[in-house]
Amino acid sequence: MPDPYISAVGLSPIGSTDLTGRDLFTAALTEAFEGLPPPADVVDAVYVGNQSELYEHQIMYGTIVAEWCGLRFAPAERVEGCAAAGALALRHAVRDVRTGTHDAVLACGIEKMTAGGSELATESLSAAFDRPLEQRAGVTAPSQYALLAQRYLHETDATEEDLAKVAVKNHENASRNPRAQFQSEIDVETVLESDYVARPLKLFDCAPVSDGAAAVLVTNEEVASTLGSSDEQVQVSGVGAASNNIAVAERDLTFIEGANVAANRAYDQADLSAKDVDVAEVHDAFTVCEPLLAEAVGFAPRGRGFESALHPSERSAEWTDVRLSTSGGLKARGHPIGATGLAQAVEVYEQLTETATSDRQVPDARTGLLVNEGGVADAVTVAHVLTTEGISNE
Amino acid sequence: MSDDSHTDPTDTDDSHPPRSPDVVTPESPYTIPGFFTALTEGRLLGARCLDCETRLVPPRPACYSCGSRDLEIEPQPKDGTVYSYTEVARPASQFADDAPFTVAIVELDTGAKLTGRLETPYDETEIGMPVRWTVRAGENLPDSGLEHERDWPLPVFESA
Repeated sequence: MPDPYISAVGLSPIGSTDLTGRDLFTAALTEAFEGLPPPADVVDAVYVGNQSELYEHQIMYGTIVAEWCGLRFAPAERVEGCAAAGALALRHAVRDVRTGTHDAVLACGIEKMTAGGSELATESLSAAFDRPLEQRAGVTAPSQYALLAQRYLHETDATEEDLAKVAVKNHENASRNPRAQFQSEIDVETVLESDYVARPLKLFDCAPVSDGAAAVLVTNEEVASTLGSSDEQVQVSGVGAASNNIAVAERDLTFIEGANVAANRAYDQADLSAKDVDVAEVHDAFTVCEPLLAEAVGFAPRGRGFESALHPSERSAEWTDVRLSTSGGLKARGHPIGATGLAQAVEVYEQLTETATSDRQVPDARTGLLVNEGGVADAVTVAHVLTTEGISNE
Repeated sequence: MSDDSHTDPTDTDDSHPPRSPDVVTPESPYTIPGFFTALTEGRLLGARCLDCETRLVPPRPACYSCGSRDLEIEPQPKDGTVYSYTEVARPASQFADDAPFTVAIVELDTGAKLTGRLETPYDETEIGMPVRWTVRAGENLPDSGLEHERDWPLPVFESA
């Protein structure tokens, strides 16, 4: 079975822009293919993660992306899974390369969330919740995660201040990431004094509404070797995906089972375990997600995930020494829904190829985990293990 | 576990999940219109898994916990407790007039869990608090814009 490699990555600016989704994709594609042959000479197929047609009144993004690559007649399709759409696209690309279906597949993600302000974003994201009982009761994305947070604070020693520290840590990381939406640090008081959006979650517990696009080129070894040197490639060593119930009420609120299953599938494929992971981008759409996911994927003991904001040396002994959300995470790098899973891949690619900016580069990072979720926590989760198992190192 | 549900008047041919397309009708309690028709009549229907005792509200064709299709319809008790809760401060526009409002996950006495509005202010709510469900009629709910769900009611919770 061919090993899949990430051979090139690109990420548009993340934030609010007058550019449309397809323009943002052009920005990501341009970066990914800088110095490479044209996409039409390399890419066989395209998958694009995209949450909602409400923002731009546009579906058919697979077709558009292929066209924008100059890839007329290439198989191309949009992948849907709310905020996990990006990692689902990556998963499809990896599968196509592993099975030998294609030699090179472009996984991309696009979202133009700011088009209708926070009101349209609230409306659009609510479509991810179960229609008959949840949506019709008037729940929102923050309120769904607040139900998790309330229970987590009830069952563990965590406090609202601990959650605030996650936001502070991720803003600090983002301040070292030129790609991040937020470049400024914040303090605990700023978070704690921000307005409640859905108690106990406050405005600064929430990831922002963002525009952005990402492109990740997945190839087999043969194509990878023609595109660059081995230190410019990372291997996708494991992939795992899992769904869980659509209704939040029927899931374990404090142990994110779908993420646990997905991560373990990815670890098993990679023949690695949680303790081997040096850097991880987890789906911190809200601050409480980072502790919950740290526990679910095996970085933290049950009930101690809220120490994620602490330096590894200050955490409970059973914690691994993983560095979490070096990009700033969804919280501060930004969260262009359909592109987020691939923005995570861009960060870990940079960490593993040692091309991150020097003040955020994790020394000797060899293994990274991506955890991308959609539709409130683990309604769907996709995990990828990336490693420096290079072409010439094997 | 009591076997009372076997003698329940709802234990008709409809009581078990559809095994034929012919019985997937808007009257079946295993469809969403059938579930809401029962709720309009004051019954909150769940499905009880005969293999693992998981409760599914609304009823579904298979148990999410063990995969079994051996389920039967079970009207759910009124009483339960708050499992988690929050206050929605910034809802979507059609709910703006209601804000802020409390939303809770309630665990009914059968173990069924579901989300709904709680008609208790957030500051007076706590985990473990006894609540019971009542029915709010469709005409008293914000217009969703979807014709097929206009008459559907919703369960809402109040302090017990």
